[in-house]
Formats: sequence, structure tokens, C-alpha cells
Amino acid sequence: MLQPLGDSALLVRFGSHLDEAANSRAIAFAQAAQAQPIDGVVEIVPSLVSVLIRYNPIISRYQDIAGTVRLLLGRTQFSADGREWRLPIRFGGEHGADLDEVAGLLKMSAEAFIAYHNANPLRVLATGFAPGFVYCGFHPDTLILPRRNSVRPLVKAGSVLFAAGQTAIAATDVPTGWHVIGHTAFSNFDPKAVPPTQLKAGDRLIFEAV
Amino acid sequence: MVATITIERAGPLTSIQDAGRFGHLADGISASGPMDIAAFHRAGLLAGSGGQAGIEFSMLGLDLRVDDGTLSAGWDGGHFDIFLNDTPLTWPGQAELRPGDRLRIGPAKAGNYGYLRFGGEIDVPEIMGSRSTSLRAKLGGLDGRALTSGDRLQIFGSGAEPQIMAPLVREDGPIRFIWGLHVEVFPTDLRQKFVTETFRITSMMDRMGVRLKDEAGVFADSQILSLVSDPVICGDIQILGDGTPIVLGRDHQPTGGYPRIGTIISADLDRFFQLRPNASVTFQSVGLDHAQALLRSGTQ
Repeated sequence: MLQPLGDSALLVRFGSHLDEAANSRAIAFAQAAQAQPIDGVVEIVPSLVSVLIRYNPIISRYQDIAGTVRLLLGRTQFSADGREWRLPIRFGGEHGADLDEVAGLLKMSAEAFIAYHNANPLRVLATGFAPGFVYCGFHPDTLILPRRNSVRPLVKAGSVLFAAGQTAIAATDVPTGWHVIGHTAFSNFDPKAVPPTQLKAGDRLIFEAV
Repeated sequence: MVATITIERAGPLTSIQDAGRFGHLADGISASGPMDIAAFHRAGLLAGSGGQAGIEFSMLGLDLRVDDGTLSAGWDGGHFDIFLNDTPLTWPGQAELRPGDRLRIGPAKAGNYGYLRFGGEIDVPEIMGSRSTSLRAKLGGLDGRALTSGDRLQIFGSGAEPQIMAPLVREDGPIRFIWGLHVEVFPTDLRQKFVTETFRITSMMDRMGVRLKDEAGVFADSQILSLVSDPVICGDIQILGDGTPIVLGRDHQPTGGYPRIGTIISADLDRFFQLRPNASVTFQSVGLDHAQALLRSGTQ
């Protein structure tokens, strides 16, 4: 479960493939670790099924950090907290060029897709791919599509992306192979703000068509 | 005390860097910072730098002129020819620059990256606690971009007494690494080949990563699946789907889903990033305790 990653970090893994249980445990453990300063630890980063712990190898040895992390793992309740957010989304048309195609592939109307898509809140599964970028899930089996065959070299900040049973939101211009289904005016990246991003892993997002 | 300089010529990937923008991986931003940290630090000592930031330039060198003000400058990293006006100076080295002076740094004779630092601080804003340019996230430094001819920079404040020191001598030899996160993905015989065969640095290198040429075909036949994405760090050796090894640099992506056979130890990263295209490279596995002992003793 614990593995060194180079000489200045370790990774705590909660699974080898992405599912609800592994993701929730990773997020809950990261929150527990962030709430309790560990000597020598300089950064704690939750990811889809793992948590990166960076430490200062000049003052801390791997064994010491790993021992503290194991103790914390034993004590962690594994109940992740999260804020709830309402995100206004403009679906389809110029805002989401792939909406009609996505709905067609799922054999439903665009209106029905939007209703299903927004029916339940999604959890932020992970951050970190690009500034302010979030992966959210999970959609039910009826809403699962693979990525597009081709990568768009650039979609604009605010793009709402759909693939692999997830919805992602880009906070900066990024290349993507995901389907673009909409756009939000909500900006999750402001380099001048502290902190620069608002959405955290574990937060719940309610999508609202506007 | 304020001085103004104008960049008259800059190679690709010339950027302002400081020690790095750490602590923002969850925000989607890797730390950046100098590719050769030790050389960056030494250039600062040579300049008597009171500032945190300096200029990192690449193989084609850098020309600049001083528009007004005087400032001390120090340089190190790789090996470049350097001229103050038309007078050749030593590399690494230092000088006091005056209005009208031109500093010309020619193409690298060794290494990929050189550093120019000043007595004062480069007047660009701190973004998220750092002046480092992230070419990936397009922030920091001067408008989040590489420096180019015509850019003007102000240097304010002065520093300490410049320090004189002998050039850094780095030993050749294999690049040392710690077996990686996904070592179990690679069969034993392949792991054995990884530490016995020779790889070659390619020209497909930038601050984000360095692609290697696998001439011996170590990874040619491996069936490599993409994995659930995990955090990645500088020095990770990823094997792409087509078998190409790529070593992640200071502007690395924060997460990745390719298998990682190993991670280069911190003590060898500076030396690795200075290896030029076409240089051969071999890898030697070391234990974590050894890698950390090297860091604590400050040896490279």
C-alpha cells in the first residue's frame, strides 16, 4: 500500500483501478493527513486512487515518514468531507459542440441526456491534470462513452467534458480527447487568489442547465 | 538601486526561474525551477545574489545589454563561451556590468542549460509564491512565457559580496535511480536489460521531459497498458505505449498513467538534465537509503 516514489516522496495506494471505494478512501486519507501536520512532510496530494506524500529527505528518512503514515492509516475513519457547489452549465450549441453526438450515441435526445447528466450530484474524483482541472464522477452505466477518436488541440477554459463515465471541467485552455458537452462561467483557477483553485477532491457538484 | 537590461538574443526555452513553485500539485501545477539546481545556486553565489530569481538559457546561449544602472552578474551551468563587450571571460564566472555593456553568451560547448544571475532581484511578480516560469501552465516569470529578444527586465536591489569558487566537477558514470512504482509490470529479464543496456538522449527534450532512444530495444516488445493515473514527480522514467522511455523534467505534468520503471535520484537529476542529445546513458539502481544519504552529504 505504501511505496517510495523516488527519494523524496511516497505514494499511498488504495487500489490499482479506479472505483468508488478506492477513490473515496484516497480522498479521505488525504484529508486526514492534511489535518495533521507530519514532521518533514511538505505536500500531500490526493489523486484518483492514491495519495502522494512529498517530504524533505534532508531531515526525514523514508522509514520514519512511512511509520507515521501507517499509524495514521490505522486511525483514519475514511469518511471524506466535501463542500457542495452549484455549477451553472450552458449545454450544447456553441458551448458544447459534441452534445448532440453524445446523446445520439447513447440513444437519447439531447434534453434527456442533460436531464440524466444533471440528475445526481457528482463528486470531484481528482484534481491536478492541469491548473484547476477537475474529474467528476461517477455516472451510471447508461451514461458511459469512450473518448473521441481524435484529440482537439485546444478547448477553452470552462469547457465541460464528458467521457469514461465521468464529467471533467477545464479551468484553462487544454487539449482533450473528451467530448465537449457544455461550458460553465465558473472559473476554478485564479493564480492571484489564495488558494488558486476552489474545487477540492471530495467536493460535490450539482450541475444546473442555464 | 535599479538596473535595466534588454535581451538582444534568446534561444528557445530561455526563462526566468527561481527555486520553484512547490506545493501546488493538487492545483494542477508542477514546481518548475532550474533544470540544474546546483548550477543555478552557484551562479547566484558568483553574482552575490540577494534575489531569488535568475535566467535559465538553453544550448544557443543568450545576448543582453545593460540599458542603465550597474549590476553584478554571475554565471554557471554547462560550459559556454562568454564575452563582456568583446573581452572573453571565464566560465563559470562573474562581472560587474555597467550601462552600455553587452554580455554575449555563445552556444553551449557542454551541457544544455546555463544560468545568469544578478546581485538584485528580477522585477517580475511572484505568482503563487514564486517567480519561476511554468511553460506548461503558462504562468510566472515574464507573462508565463519564454524570454525573447526585445524583452526588458528590471533588476532591483543589490546583493552580497560575490563569492569566488572552483568550477563544479561532476563525475561521469551511470545515472542512478530507484526502482519505480510499476516495476512489477516489467518482467525480470527486461529489468535486467534496463540496467545493462545503453540508452541515448534524443533532441526531443524540453523542461517537461527528455525522450530517450532505446537502441537495444529493451522495451520494444513489452506489452504496456496504460494504468489508472497517479501523481508523477520529476525524474520519473515513464515508458510510453510505443516503448519510448521519457524522463519527466521540472515542468512535468502533475499526473500520469504510463508505467514507471524507476525514478532518477535527486542527486543525479542536475547531471542527467545536462546530458546533450546523442549522449549515451546507462542506469544503475541504488537503494533509497543510499540516495537519501547522498542528499544529506551534499555529494553529487
